[in-house]
Amino acid sequence: MSSNKDIELNAYVDGELSDDDRIEILSIMRSNPEIAKTACELANLKSQLQLAYAAPPGIGVKGVKLTRRHCNAIAAGAVMLATGLIGGWFVGNSPSPGDRFVMLDSNGYGQAPAYSKNAETRIVFHLTTPDQTEVSELLFDIEEMLVEHRKKGSPLRVEIVSHGEGLDLLRTKLSKHQATINKLASQFDNLTFVACKNTIERVEVSEGIEITVLPSVKIIDSGVTHVVKRQKEGWTYIRV
Amino acid sequence: MGDDLEIYKVVYHINEDDPSRQASILRNIQNHIDAIENKKSDIRVVLHGDGLSILIIPVALKRLKKFNFANAHIQTVANIDALKLQGVNFKVCSNTIINRGIDIENDLYDVESQDIVKSGINELVRLQNLGYVYIKP
Repeated sequence: MSSNKDIELNAYVDGELSDDDRIEILSIMRSNPEIAKTACELANLKSQLQLAYAAPPGIGVKGVKLTRRHCNAIAAGAVMLATGLIGGWFVGNSPSPGDRFVMLDSNGYGQAPAYSKNAETRIVFHLTTPDQTEVSELLFDIEEMLVEHRKKGSPLRVEIVSHGEGLDLLRTKLSKHQATINKLASQFDNLTFVACKNTIERVEVSEGIEITVLPSVKIIDSGVTHVVKRQKEGWTYIRV
Repeated sequence: MGDDLEIYKVVYHINEDDPSRQASILRNIQNHIDAIENKKSDIRVVLHGDGLSILIIPVALKRLKKFNFANAHIQTVANIDALKLQGVNFKVCSNTIINRGIDIENDLYDVESQDIVKSGINELVRLQNLGYVYIKP
């Protein structure tokens, strides 16, 4: 396989190809199981690597998700691809809420989508900016949103996941918005501030001090893994 | 598949004020439009916080203490016009307008009442729930 094809295959797995190019790759995969197998391996590798990357996937929704199940299906004979059924699903045209997160059963058929229109609104903010002036406006917007949903009685869950330089906002010594954060956290149990343990440990090593975060902050192992998980669960993703 | 009938619904998010980053985002959007060729698209750009600087005319910067940049120079404005002519919608956050004391008519380039949304963040949530794909370049 030429290196050009490798690049294209990578772009396909990342969901970055145009529809025409994706269709081309799909037809190549149909006629060449070897390439289909490489695509599966790449997809598996990518899902593992994704956890290690500093930056989240920009277009998570549009990304082509190849799971181990697909790989088995393709290895079993690429027949299903040839039916065009799966092909059509992969090309996944209109990204309407209903079909953004479709799970496949072992036969490769879709089950009920993980997202439904009447479900609660769930938003994950991926906070990577060190700019706390910008963040003060964000907190203002979030508070407004929480108040409005409470008034209407419509369910809402919000998570603010700090990661990298975004951690400053939640550090006891560096946060410029302690009062607001404490107030919001005590008023709204559907709002969670989350800090990334990887970031905390990295900063502790580089600054040589122990880091404390605000009392309401929940610490999780990896911020990136967490926002990836939330997107897979159908949460709305916003990076700030 | 009904490829011709498909509408590409995309929302771009800008909340930073670095002029070269903003210029590159505008280029991204133009490249995006070029890539989908003559297919139907509905592309929105949501601006809030520092992102509004892309529409702030340079002479207004003195007045606006809460902004470090006013990037609506001739070239930027030309690029924005070109995108608008191709159907791109720029949505501006009114929370930012109020909090930062912006005079819509005098400080911003070509913003009309239908371009204003109450909260930029909420607009991003709303559009994603309607099936718009979120892109923050």
